[in-house]
Amino acid sequence: MPLPLNDNVCAETVYSAIFRKYSKDLHDFLYYKFGENFNPKDKVQEAFIKLWENCSKVTPDKAKSFLFTVANNLMLNEHAHQKVVLKYQATKPKHYTNENPEFIMQGNEYMDQLQKAIESLSEAQRVAFLLNRIEGKKHKEIAEMLNISTKAVEKRIYGALKILKEQVEGLN
Amino acid sequence: MTHEELIKKWLDNELNQTEFEAFTQLEDYEDLIKLDHSMQRFKAPQYNAEVELKSALQQIESRKTKSTNWLKPMMRVAAVLVVAFGLYFYVSGLETTYQTTIAQQIDTYLPDDSQITLNAASSLSFNKRSWDKNRLVNLEGEAFFKVAKGSKFNVVTSAGTVSVLGTEFNVKQRANYFEVYCFEGSVGVETKNESYVLKPGESFRVVDGNIEKLSDASAKLPSWLSNESSFENVPVHLVFEELERQYNITINSSNIEKSVLFNGTFTHTNLELALKSITIPLNLTYKIDNNVITILRE
Repeated sequence: MPLPLNDNVCAETVYSAIFRKYSKDLHDFLYYKFGENFNPKDKVQEAFIKLWENCSKVTPDKAKSFLFTVANNLMLNEHAHQKVVLKYQATKPKHYTNENPEFIMQGNEYMDQLQKAIESLSEAQRVAFLLNRIEGKKHKEIAEMLNISTKAVEKRIYGALKILKEQVEGLN
Repeated sequence: MTHEELIKKWLDNELNQTEFEAFTQLEDYEDLIKLDHSMQRFKAPQYNAEVELKSALQQIESRKTKSTNWLKPMMRVAAVLVVAFGLYFYVSGLETTYQTTIAQQIDTYLPDDSQITLNAASSLSFNKRSWDKNRLVNLEGEAFFKVAKGSKFNVVTSAGTVSVLGTEFNVKQRANYFEVYCFEGSVGVETKNESYVLKPGESFRVVDGNIEKLSDASAKLPSWLSNESSFENVPVHLVFEELERQYNITINSSNIEKSVLFNGTFTHTNLELALKSITIPLNLTYKIDNNVITILRE
């Protein structure tokens, strides 16, 4: 494994590269884990500011786990185990319009049931499943993000799919 | 390949062509695709890393300047303190000075409570801060000292230094005239060449370079304290100089020989009377023209 070029992230170029590499993943992770009520964008900012303030103590290869831990803790402090709310968008996602012409918008009854089903998932299942299905993350990527094994990720995602399928069975 | 394995592979986007065919043949294929498409509507809000990075860097920048912001007011406070301390040391390091003009006398105290009376056209200074280490009084002119008991200090004049220990004495230092009169206790006088110790009633003087040591037990206080100047065998031009210091006048005595000596007193309260008391005994007359007085032979 090559040695890191910088032993800390204080250089703005290093810092910016880390920001570009991790900020979106961190944002999505926070959103799927905690929902929309606690502005995940702000928490990402806060976590990155904290990274800057501690830049001399954090090596680039430790930056990711620093950011995820700090952001997670920031959320937990505020969150205090409130119900996670993830609302579906009223219109179909733009990026699906062209590539899936056969895509059919499901009725509100189906979507409401799906939303309830997602909320009933365990936090671990939900985060892994949404990162996978919505953000298209591979199992391996999610495993790295959450610091768990690929097998565990696969188990969570498959489990989540089973629950959701059962709950929306027969609805249109 | 089992149903579960196929789905798991699909979930990780790992299906090959044949596996994909098999997957589409699953009885729940349509349900899965429907569910998967619907999931997209739960997508997290747009996140633009570049925009967010810019705003983060701005925040960092503003925090940096904020951290120097507190420094500025602190620097101001520090500057004010430095100036204040500087001023304090400057002022306290300065000499305390008392000065009298013509026809003026003032009473004052030294830091050790010794009393000083300063005669006309004289100045006296001392340093309050270093007083404890260095009891020095600089005198130009004439002053009467009533020194507090046990308090030792030196009076420095251009003509000599007077050292004192709990006593009352008068120092008169004028042009060509230096006189120390001891009224109580003892006084040490040190000039460039000589040093003397005066007992009460004794005086030491240097007039036009001539050193004299006189004994006259009569006086209890210098006469000028009661608004009278007294002289004993003093060249008359020095008497006229003293007269100029007590009245705001100019005296022209160029006609009079310097060797003429004067014995006696003059008052500080009445110019005519003072002039008469000097001139009559010496058989001189005077002429007043505004503030200029010309002394004439009779």
